[in-house]
Amino acid sequence: MTAKRSSPISTAILLVGAGYCLLPVLWVLIASSKSGTELFSTFTFAPSTHLFGNLADLTQYRGGLFWRWMANTALYAGAGGLLSTIVSAAAGYGLAKYSFAGKQGIFNVLLAGVLVPSVVLAVPQYLLLAKLGLTNTYWAVLLPSIISPYGIYLARIYAAAAVPDDVVEAARTDGAGDFRIFRSIASPLMAPGLVTVFLFQFVAIWNNFLLPYIMLGDDKLFPLTVGLSGLLNQGASQPSLYTSVITGSLLSILPLLALFLTLQRYWKVDLAAGAVKT
Amino acid sequence: MSSSSIRRRSVAPYAFLAPAVLLFGAFLALPIGYAVYLSLRTVKVRGLGLGKGSREQVWAGLSNYSKAMTDPDFAASVLRVAAYGVLVVPAMLGFALLFALLLDSPRARATKFARLAIFLPYAVPAVISSLLWGFLYLPSVSPLYYVFGKVGWEVPSVLGSGSVIYAVANIAVWGGLGFNMVVIYTALKAIPTEIYEAAKLDGCGEISIAWRIKVPVVLPSLIMTFVFSLIATLQVFAEPVTLRPLTNTISSTWTPLMKVYRDAFTRDDLHSAAATSVILAVATFVLSFGFLRLVQNRAFSQEN
Amino acid sequence: MQGHRGLRRAALTATALLLLVASCSGTESGPSAEGTKPAENVKLTFWTWAPNMDKVVAGWNAKHPEIQVTVNKQDGGDPAVTKLLTAIKAGSGAPDLMQAEYQKIPTLVSADALADISKNLGEGVAGHFPETVWKSVTLGSDAVYGVPQDSGPMQFYYRADIFKQHGLTVPTTWEEYAQTAQKLHAADPKKYLGTFSANDPGWFVGLAQQAGASWWGIEGESWSVSVDDEATLKVADYWGGLVESGVIANLPMYTPEWNAALNNGTQVGWLSAVWAPGVLEGNAAATKGKWQMAPMPQWSKDQPATGNWGGSATSVTSQSKHPAEAAKFIEWLNTSPEAVQALAKVSGIYPADQPGQSAALAAPPAFFANQPDFYKVAADTAKTARSFTFGPNVNVAYSAYTDQFGKAAESKSKAGFTAAVRAMQKTTLDNLKSSGFSVK
Repeated sequence: MTAKRSSPISTAILLVGAGYCLLPVLWVLIASSKSGTELFSTFTFAPSTHLFGNLADLTQYRGGLFWRWMANTALYAGAGGLLSTIVSAAAGYGLAKYSFAGKQGIFNVLLAGVLVPSVVLAVPQYLLLAKLGLTNTYWAVLLPSIISPYGIYLARIYAAAAVPDDVVEAARTDGAGDFRIFRSIASPLMAPGLVTVFLFQFVAIWNNFLLPYIMLGDDKLFPLTVGLSGLLNQGASQPSLYTSVITGSLLSILPLLALFLTLQRYWKVDLAAGAVKT
Repeated sequence: MSSSSIRRRSVAPYAFLAPAVLLFGAFLALPIGYAVYLSLRTVKVRGLGLGKGSREQVWAGLSNYSKAMTDPDFAASVLRVAAYGVLVVPAMLGFALLFALLLDSPRARATKFARLAIFLPYAVPAVISSLLWGFLYLPSVSPLYYVFGKVGWEVPSVLGSGSVIYAVANIAVWGGLGFNMVVIYTALKAIPTEIYEAAKLDGCGEISIAWRIKVPVVLPSLIMTFVFSLIATLQVFAEPVTLRPLTNTISSTWTPLMKVYRDAFTRDDLHSAAATSVILAVATFVLSFGFLRLVQNRAFSQEN
Repeated sequence: MQGHRGLRRAALTATALLLLVASCSGTESGPSAEGTKPAENVKLTFWTWAPNMDKVVAGWNAKHPEIQVTVNKQDGGDPAVTKLLTAIKAGSGAPDLMQAEYQKIPTLVSADALADISKNLGEGVAGHFPETVWKSVTLGSDAVYGVPQDSGPMQFYYRADIFKQHGLTVPTTWEEYAQTAQKLHAADPKKYLGTFSANDPGWFVGLAQQAGASWWGIEGESWSVSVDDEATLKVADYWGGLVESGVIANLPMYTPEWNAALNNGTQVGWLSAVWAPGVLEGNAAATKGKWQMAPMPQWSKDQPATGNWGGSATSVTSQSKHPAEAAKFIEWLNTSPEAVQALAKVSGIYPADQPGQSAALAAPPAFFANQPDFYKVAADTAKTARSFTFGPNVNVAYSAYTDQFGKAAESKSKAGFTAAVRAMQKTTLDNLKSSGFSVK
């Protein structure tokens, strides 16, 4: 049983990596316990006692606007992630389990969406949504977040790997329609993979900045990223609200941290499943 | 696996794809088309340009493209991003592979903790992670410089002109390491353990198992992470933009996307911005095209 | 079917959140909820970044149920202008009212984003403001594109305690400023009298303005661009010399690094504007009572002058369906004694309104309680502010400033500073010409 012997070097390298990744997060934790003056005057990693004061300040900012941002972000990421997962699952299943004219072409075009950076799309998207009168509404952020080339790509891989053809054929022989097979047979089989797609898109929307930044004028609709950036960029004649930004950053990471911890086993992102499972 | 996909002629696959295609059309294809249209137009102002009707949109032909191609700022930003990519992609994927192999190794301890810790940065938006690292980079608020000061080292600012590219690269590596590690780790977990038993009987050590069996098996995943990292590199934007107010060394056209942003939003010239974006998208396409083909052949070979 | 349950749970959570937020926002008067109310009330939206503006506006809303104004707080001048210009291009989405920095008004007018409200304002409004300030909302024409709200005359802020400690006197000329910087840095190499910030074009414009520069001009039906005029070159050369010799720091302002330097006393002075107390209080609260304010160092002692850093007007956008009501509101906001008082006290800004100013600013700001004549000195210096004409591509010039002076400050070369000014001139002029503006 030599393999069970632990290797201090391997463990040490892993811990160094973990330390590197935790360093800035640890810093936010400590910095959010400091008062505005201490932030710029005491040793960076010296904690202080103002965490609750900072939380209270942040909560009081414009009548609890921060928590509104938190709820908005949850809405954008939750609803957007969910709809995106459904759309991706259907598309991925269609691509993986059917052969039809134009299949490869459609897939290539959908995937090419990855190539176009969001900075490029932001203004045309704004101009088009403005024609529908949807800018500065929840829809302006929600609708463009639903389409995810990555999500479709992953869903196609999961459908190919998790839904055996003979199961589909058997159901069809029993007289089940295409949609019922997808809903009752394929979706449950794909479920663990779809949770990953959901998480993937949830995080992407949670972290999105530019789209909501362009689309929204009303700060009651802001997600966290845009709201916090506003606290930081107050213009030259106003001091930046550093303590509130830092405390807010900490709070904005916590929900994702909780999500990671509870759904850790779904973080299996198999980008090339077909190639290994022969 | 023998392939017998469902080959019935039906509308079903089109119905499954319809929502995605519709949304793609509305929120990606249409805006892209619009951007291409804008790239061929320009605004002409008359006189002082004050008051109504003093500006109109006219056809510009390819002049926006030739302007972008001959702009020295654009060329400089492209070269900078190439250098940045050479730093970021190998470092990020190299460390991701190393940590994934260590997590998979039966001899490492504290793997659960390390896995979560290394994955954690993925949860931090780029805007916020750049702010955090910004604090750690600035000498008078940085713990690292505090330590250097105590030891008596004179360390120049990381945000100085020579090293700022490393400062930005570090943030990208920090943010992307965990996700790529999970991708590779997932592929490692899919390897049947019997293979290792056989290798051990043949007298292979941990390192040689890792190098001879594990790395070749996760190669497809590595290729995929490479393609996606490459695309992300070409689109680097949020990190340098957030660091920019902290230093003199990041110009407004530091990366190609920053130039797009400056043209569109600071200079209010959507047309130049659109032309630069089209060039950028085509370049990204050309660069990743070969890899994408490779990936399709490998990843989806089982379906047909 | 563990995975399936997990998925369903995630879906339920997301749905619950959706309902929660939807119910929270249900009472909000979004842009969709109009036209159903029985009363014919006018609703105006107001984009601004002045702190606590909603509280000032509440005073109006209480008295004018027929014209209700909603404040949408913005990220500061640049992002707000970016969004407004995008909305103007799109043809919808702009607010009714907009806080507009003086330097952005030509850009906004050129993009047809602002409404001419000359016919909607009362008779004496222009008389409330100094002539140079009023000119920035008329652009020298008969049109009126807004009512001035605040201004930012520049002064010199310094740490009186550290000056005393090193036996320094307050510089009254730029020559003395250079000598003081030299003396201070020699006495303590960690300390600087100030920093040259390549990230704050508005600050540099104030310094150039003080020296007599005016970067744009209207001559007949053409623009002129003179970023590289003698005054600007003189200022750039002066600062280049200070940075090259190392007696002045070269790092940008408004960074955590700079905040730390204000706190630990390594930044001993700050060439800033009348709103400085608020920034110092927010970023270096512990230094309260240690600062003093003095007029700017001068180029020529017998012709005292200053520049402006910041300052803005309130404008009506061209997409507003109620320009008359909107104009009525901004006239109240920026000229009525009640609102001007509130702007100064609640929003902490320096009102441009001359009649209301002295009443609103009787006591010094709390952070400068040790200097009872704070606002008297401010008002005296404000009178010496020189005039400065902004052009329709200020953003181009400003982003060229950050790029060019960033390079110059980083290399710490005097020659680089004047080269930066020439490069700015070229970029600004080329951009104006290639857009089709008539340029002299």
